Amino acid sequence: MGLRDDFAKILISEPEVQARVAELGEEINATYAPDDRPLLVCVLKGAFMFLADLVRHLDMRHEVDFMEISSYGRGTVSSGVVRILLDLAQNIDGRHVLIVEDIIDSGRTLDYITRNLQTRGPASLRVCTLLSKPSRREIDIPLDFVGFEIPDEFVAGYGLDFAEEYRNLPFIGVLKEQIYGDID
Amino acid sequence: MKMPDALDKVLLDEETIAARVRKLAAQISADYAGIDELVLIGVLKGAFIFLADLARHLTVTHCVDFIALSSYTRSAISRGAVRLIMDTRASVTDRHVLIVEDIVDTGFTLDYLLRNFRARKPASLHTCTLLSKPDRRQVNVPIDYLGFEISDVWVVGYGLDYNDRFRTLPYIAALKQQAHG
Repeated sequence: MGLRDDFAKILISEPEVQARVAELGEEINATYAPDDRPLLVCVLKGAFMFLADLVRHLDMRHEVDFMEISSYGRGTVSSGVVRILLDLAQNIDGRHVLIVEDIIDSGRTLDYITRNLQTRGPASLRVCTLLSKPSRREIDIPLDFVGFEIPDEFVAGYGLDFAEEYRNLPFIGVLKEQIYGDID
Repeated sequence: MKMPDALDKVLLDEETIAARVRKLAAQISADYAGIDELVLIGVLKGAFIFLADLARHLTVTHCVDFIALSSYTRSAISRGAVRLIMDTRASVTDRHVLIVEDIVDTGFTLDYLLRNFRARKPASLHTCTLLSKPDRRQVNVPIDYLGFEISDVWVVGYGLDYNDRFRTLPYIAALKQQAHG
């Protein structure tokens, strides 16, 4: 596939991604009690592929819901405040909530989302992310389930895009600098 | 994983679904070869697993987008009176649109979506659904890519739910009659 030529290297191969997603499923299975009925909250669009694979490894009762968010623009980045384009279909008052993210970078958006969801009175609120870039973190936010810690490189694939491309690739790779370098 | 008690039997197992999804992806990839403005629009929540698997097998460049629908009332949705609670992120005008659904039942919802999207003047507009229940159809809708035709039984799994339950099972199963009767 031509798109693969846009990558400088493959960071996490498809079998490595799949094996880790299965492990995360086991960790989540072991964390919740049988009648906790956690609600997995997927933050679109990036996390949809991760979610689709993760949930198929869960063997306790659970539900899924979706949120889509968008930034207000450059000036608001540091506050982490985002526009909620699609809010949860379900009321989470008293529910065990697990936020499912593709990647945690500065942590500001996640911090805002958790504060937002916390005001709704969930029984518990945990975070599962496929990727984390600890060197980029600006806000210390606890992550309960982490797929992979990665260095601060420009990654795409497995739900993560660059200009809406590469999302559907089954691996996670580092894009060549000439692909992202000339667009700001 | 043990099958939940509320389920009657597995209609389509993981391997059968995976093989069919790969075939659909190959067909779509062939039909859209050379087109670089393809956008797959997944209808939440039901289509997210199907879309995730389908997209991974496409060899043509494409974008994915999502829409979310809600009914005004439970009876209204059967007549296609749906409310778009989240629209696509990007405009679809002049782009090749493929609507990705989990199931087509009466056809009212898909008919509504087709009319809604046609008004946006896409370069082309087609439909892909994993499941279809032809016995339930009340309005004729074109299905360009179809996974499986099934009979009129309540099915769950692989994105399809019963009151939000059983949605994430890796297979598609029929619900026992008494579970929804």
